[in-house]
Amino acid sequence: MTAATGHADEAPPGSRWPYRKRSCVSLAFDLDGPTGGAMLDGSLWGKPEYFTLGSYGPWRALPRILDLLDAFELPATFYTPAWVVETWPERCRTIVERGHEVAHHGYRHEPYYGRTEAEQREILTRSQAIFMDVLGVAAVGFRTPSGDWSPVTARILTEEGFLYSSSMRGDDRPYLHPGGLVEIPVRWDMDDYAYLAYTRRPDYPAGLDRIAGYGSTLDNYKREFDGYHAEGLCLSTLWHPKVSGKPGRILLLERLFEHMRAHDDVWFATGRDVAAWWKERHDRAPVTEEGS
Amino acid sequence: MTWPDEARCAVLITVDLDAELAILAADPSTRDRVKTLSVGGYGVTRGVDRLLGALDGVPSTWFVPGLHAGLIHDVRQAGHEIANHGHAHEDFDPLDLAGQLDAIRRGQDALAEVTGSLPRGFRTPAGEWKPGLAAGLPALGIDWSSSWRGDDLPYFHPSGLVEIPLHHELEDHPYFMFNLDPPFPTGQSRIAPYAAVLENWIQEFDAYHRFGLCYVLRLQPEVIGTPGRIGLLRSLLSAMRERPGVWFATGSQVADHWRATRTGNEPGHPADVFAELTS
Repeated sequence: MTAATGHADEAPPGSRWPYRKRSCVSLAFDLDGPTGGAMLDGSLWGKPEYFTLGSYGPWRALPRILDLLDAFELPATFYTPAWVVETWPERCRTIVERGHEVAHHGYRHEPYYGRTEAEQREILTRSQAIFMDVLGVAAVGFRTPSGDWSPVTARILTEEGFLYSSSMRGDDRPYLHPGGLVEIPVRWDMDDYAYLAYTRRPDYPAGLDRIAGYGSTLDNYKREFDGYHAEGLCLSTLWHPKVSGKPGRILLLERLFEHMRAHDDVWFATGRDVAAWWKERHDRAPVTEEGS
Repeated sequence: MTWPDEARCAVLITVDLDAELAILAADPSTRDRVKTLSVGGYGVTRGVDRLLGALDGVPSTWFVPGLHAGLIHDVRQAGHEIANHGHAHEDFDPLDLAGQLDAIRRGQDALAEVTGSLPRGFRTPAGEWKPGLAAGLPALGIDWSSSWRGDDLPYFHPSGLVEIPLHHELEDHPYFMFNLDPPFPTGQSRIAPYAAVLENWIQEFDAYHRFGLCYVLRLQPEVIGTPGRIGLLRSLLSAMRERPGVWFATGSQVADHWRATRTGNEPGHPADVFAELTS
């Protein structure tokens, strides 16, 4: 909480966010569908049951989540592998039509860690072309598939015109990467995989830990929100429609949204809006900390 | 209206009568490990009777491996549906298509010998289907499955087979199954808190009722059928019975209703997408 970090925490609560809001909530979903490891290694094409488990996200859960966001008038960002956009174009277009943001999450959920610069650029340009073609918009936001990136990724993103990333875990406030890319950190505490996801062959969790109670999961989420709000921070989420869009978990999110909406001093914004505001306000501040 | 009699949602209670066979099939080295096998065997010695008592008039569908065809007398007496669950609870992953169909055929033969007719429903014991399985099932007398995921309404496989999809959070096994060695869960997780599981199951039911969906509960007598856990099922069923507009049905009733009211899937359904991408 010092000026040396470049984080402007000296700003008193109430003036840190637009409209004199006390805290910021930037809801975000990773619309992975069936992309990821099994698609990348090809084993997915021998696993129809596993394929349908992932496809539930864009196919069945997404419309329900969009209805819930409408009901609470909440904006959100959907980090969407371009393969999902190609495969369910109508479903994905409704995200944009209903006022939300779509952002980059790989073509088939490729980890950027360990990939060459050329490979990373190829994934970005291929995916941006699909976004333009199907959705009519290019992504300005980026979230690393599987959570890590390579030392050159931030530079590439800036050169390719990206405004922000939401990939790192090391802060609870936005900050600037060297070169000016905004980071909106998101933490595992707000990742539904850490509580609720369960798959077999491949097993997740690796040791087949139990699916958590919905009540205790909701309580964790609420306590995190309460803490972020009290300290005037920026809460983002790592939710997956195929996990959090199950019927009973829609009720979980509904209760959380009721809790958040009971406050009138929260700025709810997409990643794009948070990043644009943060960059405009903080571009001048030097950054000395990576935060990852 | 999606469901008969203006019901808001459908509830399908399913039971896998695995007993020791699932453990044995997953790890054949357990053949001489009597304690480990008894974890499953408890389902037959104690679980089935307790489960039948708790169902108390609620219809259900039991997926029975052919080797257990001799154990279903009381289940049938109570009026529940019998469906196919392979012959020895085979793991389908190492089998080719012919091997998968053979396991199902042997199960059909064993069950039909006891019941006098071929079961219409099928649930994969473990593992994934080889291409062509859905198309091969009608010749064995099977016209619906409850094996895949991807939806919370029934849907059609491209072959016309009806699928009544599953959800891990509505199964007892992921929450409660435990064996120290060979370890299950493999990471030796704690047994889930009973109250939390009941809360999950009821919260899901509340949502299925609100959204008009098909709630498929998946139980195993050796898992749910303990003195302490059977109360979870009783509490869940009484919460369901208190609600108006719940259609309690067997798998075949759900499949028949789906065929009578639908001609196909909405465009883009995961089952059709998978078929297109692998054809």
